[in-house]
Amino acid sequence: MNELLILPSAKYKQKVGYLTASLFVTVGVCIYLKYNPFLLFADFSPIQRLLGEMLPPNFSLLWQPTIGRAIAQTASMAFLATFYGCLIAFILAFLTATNTMPLKFVRVIVGAFLSLLRIIPPLVYILIFIIAVGLGSFSGMLALIAITVGMFGRLFTDIIENAEHSAADAVFSVGASRLQVIRFAVLPQIIPAFIANCLYAFDVNIRVAISLGIFGGGGIGYQLYMAMQVLHYQDAFALICLIIIMIVLIEKASDYFRIMILGKEKLR
Amino acid sequence: MTINDFSPKRYYKLVLPTAGLLALIKLTAWVCGAGFEQLGKGLLQGISFVKIMFPPDWSAFPDMLEPALQSIAIAFIATILGTLLAVVFAIAAASNLTNPIVRNITRFLIGLERSLPEIIILLILIAGYGLGVFSGIVALSLGCVGMLGKLLGDIIEEIDYTMIESVEAVGADKLQVIWFAVIPQIVPNLVSLALFRFEMNIRLSIILGAVGAGGIGYELDTAFGLLQFHRGLTAVLVILVMVVGAEQLSQFIRNKIKLKGALK
Repeated sequence: MNELLILPSAKYKQKVGYLTASLFVTVGVCIYLKYNPFLLFADFSPIQRLLGEMLPPNFSLLWQPTIGRAIAQTASMAFLATFYGCLIAFILAFLTATNTMPLKFVRVIVGAFLSLLRIIPPLVYILIFIIAVGLGSFSGMLALIAITVGMFGRLFTDIIENAEHSAADAVFSVGASRLQVIRFAVLPQIIPAFIANCLYAFDVNIRVAISLGIFGGGGIGYQLYMAMQVLHYQDAFALICLIIIMIVLIEKASDYFRIMILGKEKLR
Repeated sequence: MTINDFSPKRYYKLVLPTAGLLALIKLTAWVCGAGFEQLGKGLLQGISFVKIMFPPDWSAFPDMLEPALQSIAIAFIATILGTLLAVVFAIAAASNLTNPIVRNITRFLIGLERSLPEIIILLILIAGYGLGVFSGIVALSLGCVGMLGKLLGDIIEEIDYTMIESVEAVGADKLQVIWFAVIPQIVPNLVSLALFRFEMNIRLSIILGAVGAGGIGYELDTAFGLLQFHRGLTAVLVILVMVVGAEQLSQFIRNKIKLKGALK
């Protein structure tokens, strides 16, 4: 009996096996990449040097009209992409959901299109749209629309499919057409979730808009990239502060709108 | 009220928000320089450009394998190290394990990190440590800490407290409480979140690669920059395979854990 208690159990052995295997793989990959994770904690001199160059931040830069325009461009990109992207995703979601679209081949085709949009990485979109419509925030916006549709199409489909069936059945049984079922049984159920996700999409899109700016999508991301490229670290630090403030403000605003719209349930 | 009651009374509340929304769309479209006639022209150009890209240049395929492997390795290492760091941060950010001062400081740091997109962290790191794999991995790991730290912190705050109490009752110190009472409870959530983050990191490693973290993203960006579109298309196809593969792999592991309860 005592020996049984001392011996490690099969479960314990399995756990140790998993841990050792992942440890070996991790160390192997580290060696392959010539990456030393302890360097980050051991050697602070590059960060120190960088902070020395970044401080004090050059906040006077922020009053220049170019920066104001860049901020407006980034925000507009995110807003327009959220609006059109969610609209397109919403329509496509109705065409993919099993309870609103009776034709199977339409469901399969639209579903495959949504999956394709989702797996293509953002970098590919921005490279293609820059060649299609030229550098600037318009190409960034188009790329962002494609990304939004890919990200939220599947989500909206799930929301529609999870809607309560009994309401749809009830409306259908009194002789409503398919469109009337959607309008009076499905739509009222999904509108709150839809709005909440649109606000979330705006949160996400403002970050992606900044990233896309670096690749030529215009806006504040491009300004930051330029400042970094020409080693104006004091300007860059001011821009980073500005970006943090912008993102936090937008997060708070979207929280506020979510509570305002969903709390009162005005749109139901 | 009949089903066809479209009387203005029901909809008048929506007039003002709709008008505001339309005005905002007009304004933002003007700022962006967006327009539907441009969109039509752009779409035609885009389609003809996509036609130019075909067929992919298969002779460039062997050149793509090494960077692709590098991208996957970057995402993998960043996920592992980021998750480990995130656990530390999550424990420090959970109100039932730490005192309020440490918790608030940690939460503030996590929030600060979350509001910075990974690519900006990468730009800062590149300025400090130079171009290369190191900056990419650290940027992705920090992104991991921001996302998983918050989610895991919330999960730890909701764990079963009786287990901590019973471990404490037999005389465990703080570290032993964490190791024997907290970690076993969060491992299933931890694994599924880490898998989700791995998928995200694969995608992010591509876009970070284009800025200078190396890997397949860099290949893609240079191919487009040098107008070698057939080569670029090969890179795109390799990326698609990578992304789908990562998704399938994480789905497979998730199902396996769900079926066997292997890590519980």
